[in-house]
Amino acid sequence: MNRIDRMFERTHKQGRAALVTFLTAGDPDLALTAQLVPELESAGADLIELGFAHSDPIGEGATIQAASERALAGGTTLGQVIETVHEIRRVSEIPILLMGYVNNVLAYGEARLAADCARAGVDGLIVVDVPFDEGQRLQAECDAHGIHRILLVAPTSTPERVVRIAARSRGFVYCVSVTGVTGARRELPADLEALVRRIQRVASVPVGVGFGISTGAQAAQVARIADAVVVGSALVERVAAGASPEASLRAASDFVRELAAAVRTARQT
Amino acid sequence: MQVKICGITSARDARVALEAGADAIGLNFVPGTPRALDPEAAREISSAAVGVAVRVGVFRDAPLEQVLGLVAEIGLDAVQLHGDEPPEYAAALPVPVLKALPGDASLEERAAAYPSVDLLIDHPSGGGSGTTWNFELARKLVAAGRRVWIAGGLSPENVADAVRVARPHGVDASSTLESAPGCKDPERVREFVRRAREGVEPRSEPDASGYYGPYGGRFVPETLMPALSELDEAYQALIDDEAFWGELRSLLKSYAGRPTPLYFAERMSAELGLRVYLKREDLAHTGAHKINNVLGQALIAKRMGKPRVIAETGAGQHGVATATACARYGLDCEIYMGAKDIERQALNVFRMELLGARVHSVSSGSRTLKDAMNEALRDWATNVRHTYYVIGSTAGPHPYPQIVRDLQRVIGEEARAQILEAEGRLPDLLIACVGGGSNAMGLFWPFRDDSAVAFVGAEAGGAGVERGPHGAPLSAGTPGVLHGSYSYTLQDDAGQIFEAHSISAGLDYPGVGPEHAHFKDLGRAQYVPVTDDEALDAFVWVTQLEGIIPAFETAHAFAELRRRAPELPRESVVILNVSGRGDKDVAQAQELLAARK
Repeated sequence: MNRIDRMFERTHKQGRAALVTFLTAGDPDLALTAQLVPELESAGADLIELGFAHSDPIGEGATIQAASERALAGGTTLGQVIETVHEIRRVSEIPILLMGYVNNVLAYGEARLAADCARAGVDGLIVVDVPFDEGQRLQAECDAHGIHRILLVAPTSTPERVVRIAARSRGFVYCVSVTGVTGARRELPADLEALVRRIQRVASVPVGVGFGISTGAQAAQVARIADAVVVGSALVERVAAGASPEASLRAASDFVRELAAAVRTARQT
Repeated sequence: MQVKICGITSARDARVALEAGADAIGLNFVPGTPRALDPEAAREISSAAVGVAVRVGVFRDAPLEQVLGLVAEIGLDAVQLHGDEPPEYAAALPVPVLKALPGDASLEERAAAYPSVDLLIDHPSGGGSGTTWNFELARKLVAAGRRVWIAGGLSPENVADAVRVARPHGVDASSTLESAPGCKDPERVREFVRRAREGVEPRSEPDASGYYGPYGGRFVPETLMPALSELDEAYQALIDDEAFWGELRSLLKSYAGRPTPLYFAERMSAELGLRVYLKREDLAHTGAHKINNVLGQALIAKRMGKPRVIAETGAGQHGVATATACARYGLDCEIYMGAKDIERQALNVFRMELLGARVHSVSSGSRTLKDAMNEALRDWATNVRHTYYVIGSTAGPHPYPQIVRDLQRVIGEEARAQILEAEGRLPDLLIACVGGGSNAMGLFWPFRDDSAVAFVGAEAGGAGVERGPHGAPLSAGTPGVLHGSYSYTLQDDAGQIFEAHSISAGLDYPGVGPEHAHFKDLGRAQYVPVTDDEALDAFVWVTQLEGIIPAFETAHAFAELRRRAPELPRESVVILNVSGRGDKDVAQAQELLAARK
């Protein structure tokens, strides 16, 4: 059974949402990424999303663009990111999914990517710029290797698209909370709950919400309505702000501890 | 094409619709009508369709609380309103709404009262009569960017024709698909779904998914997919809308100065031993072919009711053209431009501002055109509901390569008529420069079925494709995805995109339109790199030979013509597209030529 499914079984039993934390792999180097993952796990993260950097990340706001540039400046490649997951698997069984853009996937090769991910212990894949209408080969390769291909629903998605995406997404459906790119927002949209309910009504897998969630209070707000809360840019900022690897590790795990506490107590109040 | 099967009365009917491939099913909750459901039957139908098709509850002036209750209890994914429900009523529902309106003279006005919901246009006499109505009324709304469903008398026999006329987002039928009242006929439902989709088969490339052979498609985040579908639907509805093309033609004539001349270059012909004709896009308003595209897209934006327009620009030519069209139409205009380009092209930045546009400096990545395009896509993802994105070339996700090609093909259409007039025959060769590829595609496309006419595209060879850097993805790149479509790109082995380089800002782009990639693979066109030095030589040559200062972009095409001339049979008829005038490049030319001495 895929680690992502096992994780959601556990959080459902515990009656709480899961906490998904995003890191740009290789920002500023992969050694730090390999250290961060188990650290965030012990701070209370339930799933780690690792971004593999692309030169032209059209879905990202300024924070993750900058992180991608740092990762590329350090020479990070998709192959190395997969290798890093393989290393992490020696010390951690936390579910890990990779997130990135299609051109790097095509350059790597869909079949080779799915096979290497499965071998290294990657559980899922998000390719931001491959909507469900495209990428049949990628889907087939992921299915053949037991890799969950997670699809995104946006506030702009039509009802027909929501149904199709919910039916095709594996592991969970990633609900984009805002019309726009990634990055911290002061407030979450008022109609977010209605969108999450619409997806939950038709999906047979859990629904996670991401984009814009940057505080414990916002994480708690989302944890009350969704099955998973994804925090990205706000965490990437903390990693980047650390003056040393130790400072980055400390700042990131403090922040994740705060988020984890918020997610765990959200439905009790 | 979305297909909705309405008036489902049993789980069996629901399965019939789903097996036929329907996208949505309608559950009727209007009391006293023949196919009205009780909650028990509705629940059973709903669970048969969950996660497979959109479950639409149909109501007429029901109390809001009742609708809210059924949405939650039955699990409805959308609600269709058939009564006099006011817009606030629709806004209070937690699911998407289809507002049903009669297809009569009042349609446009009534539709305006519900600006943000799907519209289901029904027979004016209430439908169910098996007769149809004037689908042109629906098409007008589609072309205005509304998401429209048509209903009322649609059957397997007439749906393909109805779709061809109305070009809707979806179709809806009920009673015409029954073998007995309240019982759907599987064969007729299947036939209806099949024929509905058949009605939108495109007449030529791209295919319905936006592919030219293996190239093209839509590789964008989900947030933008509905906007691309909306634009595609609006554009397909405009494709044979005579009023739209008439307005555009008249503007191209009186405002942009079309048709542009086809000039016989006498001295150049004598020197090369050919019959060289120049298509003078440099004489169009703003000094380049770009105006053909932006006037058309600004008109589409206007028709779609989008008040805000954004665009990316490299050196500023497309930005200036877009700002010009927006000034002409009274649209808000914002332009994204790389910080590096802003430094290099201060005069064009001022031109855009003078025309009333706001120019945003982009400091990410290589701080040039590709990053400006990334940023424009991000803006569009954020403001997609009221913003129209004018892409400047035959690149980007579907339907942009098609729209830009169709707006630029006026170049080739005119050139074809003009050369037949001048020479009494078709040309042997067409030459144009290729960056994203819009001027070349505009010239080539109307000749695509004339197999005796050869096409050559001159790409930016920069410092030379062997040594690099350059801007020649077709000559020296590999297939990949950039800015939403699959085509040739400049990239490393890991799929990271390179920054392009060219003396000419308009060719300084690491991607190219997908139809050019297709032409290359088919062998329909040949693409060759021309270096910065060769282009500069040609720039001087043309200027002194014909008294025409060409844009650096165009100079690449001239350089290729000059190089190729000795291999061509004497007196071959050649048309070269003078894509733009060179005033913008004179200062740079002065520096470069001074540095040579």
